[in-house]
Parts: sequence; structure tokens; C-alpha cells
Amino acid sequence: MTSNPRQNAEIQGRVTARTQPMFHRVLRAHPQTVRDTLGDIRQRFREDVSEDTLGRLELVLAEVLNNVTEHAGTGDAVPSRTPSIHLCIVRHDSGLACAITDDGASLPDDCILPRILPTAEFPDLPEGGFGWYLIQDLTQALCYYREESRNFLAFSVPFAYDEASR
Amino acid sequence: MQLLVTDTDTHLVITVNEARIDAAIATRFKDKLRETIVRHRKPVEMRMRAVEFMDSSGLGAMIALRKALPEDMPLILKGLTPNVERVFRLTRMDTVFDIRPETENEEQKE
Repeated sequence: MTSNPRQNAEIQGRVTARTQPMFHRVLRAHPQTVRDTLGDIRQRFREDVSEDTLGRLELVLAEVLNNVTEHAGTGDAVPSRTPSIHLCIVRHDSGLACAITDDGASLPDDCILPRILPTAEFPDLPEGGFGWYLIQDLTQALCYYREESRNFLAFSVPFAYDEASR
Repeated sequence: MQLLVTDTDTHLVITVNEARIDAAIATRFKDKLRETIVRHRKPVEMRMRAVEFMDSSGLGAMIALRKALPEDMPLILKGLTPNVERVFRLTRMDTVFDIRPETENEEQKE
């Protein structure tokens, strides 16, 4: 869909086409595919986003996509089916807006409720339970919706304080 | 798996030459190194300069390696890149490991 001239008109009526890098991908929930996709996302945004923000984006997306790969595969209806993930990322003025949907098992409620770190005292160190903590810590406006057989997850990864919007 | 293990007198030095410790390799990484660490039973120094990315699966593998050593025997981590350091810091697991900067000499060698 193309925008009409009035939508792109600035105050003096000058027409500008404002483009922002975006990324869209449909992928199977498989560790190697997740790895390859994260590499492609890095390529797409590396010119426009600081290394710090890119690092936070990559970590958050890795955690979300790994969760789908590890936990969503044994769906209620068809066990051990590999879920299909749709991923969309858009660069906004204040950060990177991400939307991810998958057709795997429902996300348990406690994933998106506020989390605290697992307690850690030697030798009782937890080896898991960090993923959703990291996702919550590194994102803003995290929200979840379930519609029939699909999970919808959306959030924003904010830019660093000193990262001017371009 | 790109791992270089050297047994010095005092330490077991493990140079990790994998660019990513992520869900795709975390289990193999953990199993392989845990066996090595348990067998040598001495302080471990891991050189992590080549590792550009680590997720929570990778962190879990690192914690499993830490637990393979007794509490009084350190697991030293050197040369953490910013993306890897962030995961240790945000999860407060930086207190469980002995994280040190690389010396100039070590940087030149690698």
C-alpha cells in the first residue's frame, strides 16, 4: 500500500517519503533457523541502530524464539509439531517495535507477569528461569494475546539514552 | 565445537572459539566441558574473547560448569564481550564467577 501525498506532507507542504528499516520473516521454530534469522536481523538494522541496542534486541528475540522452539512444540491438538513463527520488527523514533506470533501451545500466564530473579546461592544455583526475566527487563510495553491457535506477543526494545533518533 | 583446552600446572585454560553460546549448542557445550572440568579438578580459566553472543541457554550451561567445581575453586572468565557481559550482569550471575579483564599479553596472543 502506498501513502498519499497528504499523509507525507510536512508543514510547508513539502512531500517526503519517510522510510524506516523493517524486518519480516516467517520461520520454523528450530534452533538453527532461529540462529540464522538473528544474523539476518543484525544485518538489516546494523546501519541504523547502535551496537548496544542491537545486542539487546538480539538477546530479547533469542529468548522469545527459543521459548517457542523449546516449549510450544507439543501443542494440545497436534503433539510434537514444529510451530511456525511470524516475526516483524520496525524501527521507530524511540526504539524497535517487535511483533511475534506463533501457532504453538499457549503461553503460560506467569511468563508475562512481573518476575524476580531466581535466588542464587552456591551450590543451589539455578540453571534456567532467566529467559522471561531478561525479556521483561529489556523490553517496554510487553503484551500478549491468544487468538484461537495463535500466540501474539508484542513489545518494544528502547534505544539507549544517548542514541538520537534519526 | 571450537574449544581449546590447555592444562597448565595451576589452571585448566579453556579458550572458547565459538562465536555463539546459544540454544543451538548449549547442551553439547555443557556436556563436553563439564566432563573435562570434572576430570581435571583444578581452577578453570575460560577465555571468552571470541564469543559475541550468549543467551540464557548459554548462561545455564556456564552455571552448570561453575557447579561442576567446588565453591572454593574459582571459575575465572576473561575477555567477556559486551553482549556476553550483559547477560551475566542482568541476571546477577556475575557474582558467581570470577570475572577479570584480559591482560595485554593475553590479548596479543589470541
